[in-house]
Amino acid sequence: SIEIPDMEDEHGVLPDPIATVGAGVTRNTLNEALRHTGLQFVVDPGADATLGGMVATGASGTTAVQYGTMRENILAVQCVLADGTIVNTGTKALKNSAGYDLLGLLCGSEGTLGVITKVAVKLHPIPENIMAAVCVFDSLQDAAQTVAMLKLCNVPLLRCELLDAMSVKAFNQYQQGQGQQDAGAATKREEKPTLFLEFQAPSMESLQEQVQMTQSICDDYGGSGFDYCSDEEERKALWAARHSLYYASVNLRPGATGAILTDACVPLSQFASVIQETAQEIEEKGVVAPTFGHAGDGNFHTIIPIGEGDSEEYIETLHEISNNIVLRSLAAGGTCTGEHGLGYGKTKYLERQYGPGAVHMMQLVKKSLDPHNIMNPGKVVPN
Amino acid sequence: MKVLVGVKRVVDYAVKVRVQNKSVDLNNVKMSLNPFCEIAVEEAVRLKEGKQADEVVAMSIGPKQCTETLRTALAMGCDRAIHVSTDLRTDYIDLQPYAIAKIFEKVVEQEGSDLVLLGKQGIDSDCGQTGPMLAGFLGWPQVTFAANVEAKDGGIQVERETDAGTETINIPSLPAVVTCDLRLNEPRYATLPNIMKAKKKKVDTIDADSLGVDLEAHNEVLEVFEPAQRKEGIMVEDIDQLLDKLKNEAGVLA
Repeated sequence: SIEIPDMEDEHGVLPDPIATVGAGVTRNTLNEALRHTGLQFVVDPGADATLGGMVATGASGTTAVQYGTMRENILAVQCVLADGTIVNTGTKALKNSAGYDLLGLLCGSEGTLGVITKVAVKLHPIPENIMAAVCVFDSLQDAAQTVAMLKLCNVPLLRCELLDAMSVKAFNQYQQGQGQQDAGAATKREEKPTLFLEFQAPSMESLQEQVQMTQSICDDYGGSGFDYCSDEEERKALWAARHSLYYASVNLRPGATGAILTDACVPLSQFASVIQETAQEIEEKGVVAPTFGHAGDGNFHTIIPIGEGDSEEYIETLHEISNNIVLRSLAAGGTCTGEHGLGYGKTKYLERQYGPGAVHMMQLVKKSLDPHNIMNPGKVVPN
Repeated sequence: MKVLVGVKRVVDYAVKVRVQNKSVDLNNVKMSLNPFCEIAVEEAVRLKEGKQADEVVAMSIGPKQCTETLRTALAMGCDRAIHVSTDLRTDYIDLQPYAIAKIFEKVVEQEGSDLVLLGKQGIDSDCGQTGPMLAGFLGWPQVTFAANVEAKDGGIQVERETDAGTETINIPSLPAVVTCDLRLNEPRYATLPNIMKAKKKKVDTIDADSLGVDLEAHNEVLEVFEPAQRKEGIMVEDIDQLLDKLKNEAGVLA
């Protein structure tokens, strides 16, 4: 079920930018239904995820730097507890300080506290004007510093993605593959750390101002090849390739069947050094593993392809790299998972990240809401 | 160049259609702008943005809710709209392409249009006849299934998709009728400021009965039915049972 704002109210009352959907509705289905309302649901993880799933995993996408993650885009949730109680929590009002923040509790709970059945999400206007820009840097450090500076200078970023040299290589190969199908050859990008940026504004003038400011800040950090485009098709092609980086990365190693996907998030001041050290370790160990990230949020992913024929030793090295990324991020005051959740592999880091107090509190919550441990047992909270 | 764009209000493409009383059940069913008409609107708006068209008028035939469909066309960039009002069904049950083309003919004459852009077919009736019939009534050149339209030297050059490949047709001078196919363009999303502006754009309502057109259906719909229900599958115990069924029941294995 999907309830969307009615733009045609006879009395001229503007509807709230809110959509209420069944948990199984996917974000693309919602945006299709919103097609002619001028509104959109902005959280855009790579997959066409269900909204219920997005709440349960605290999902996030490339627009988080401007709009926040799922956490900041839900207003109300309906769920069912282990004992069968139906819970309606949250409000369509924009602020609420009535009682415990159950929305926050459910967000990221990975099905361990309740089954989500309905979600009311915030919508945002589809931007009038959007511009995409690209800039190349000599080092990851320079690129990351640029991002920090952009934020300090209050340049409103719609999207801000950083690709390391290996990611750009994967990106080029992917575009080459696509180029055979589409008309108009895509330019091969320089295999150096690259920032992909996007801006939006109500007027072309303010948009151009933002781009100019950005260009001058990029210059300050030795950026080169600054390019921007507002053409819809060009922009879409750019971001499609970014979203396909997982597959492009796996393809960097012919014969690779899958990959270890890491996810870490650190305070912005540490972003440059953590990503730099990670890239260094990867190079030293002679592993193929592109790194790219939501630079505006201090969140990055390393995709480590695994081939069928890989030796046990090699695979152990890969897991070592993955583990070191987490340890490095925790040491920098960050988190072992920025957006992908704990899954099966990261519950073991919880105590290291938060200390025993928080883990104890989580266990108490779990025990009282699910005393018989029937809700996705084994997830989130260590037993 | 004055452009007239046909905009049809149809059952939304995602709806699971049900049959009730010898016709498609339209009760409480989500209706939207016909996807091919949306493509036609987009093309018309692009012609205006490219300064080849001076004015784009959207037109829809049907009940009062057609004004919603027209508002979407206006939000995408049409200048004004015409609503030909009728409670007759436009999904072939009452009004059929012949009558619809006749209505368009009248409006084209009143408006003095140079180019009529239509979707190649309505996703409800799937006829694809209105465009060609209209061109016939007007005595105008027509190109159907347009995948590319270029205004050139007072005429238009159109690429059309056929099963055998792409064909390029040059119409040296307007007027003309063009029906639009999927690959012509990707329609824009209307932004909120444009949706708000569209509320102020002009929508004229004309009663279909006042046009002096014969609205009678010439073809009788004998039957409307849903496709046969798929038979329920069964669970089998083991591979041997599966092989047995495939061989002896379904007859797909020698």
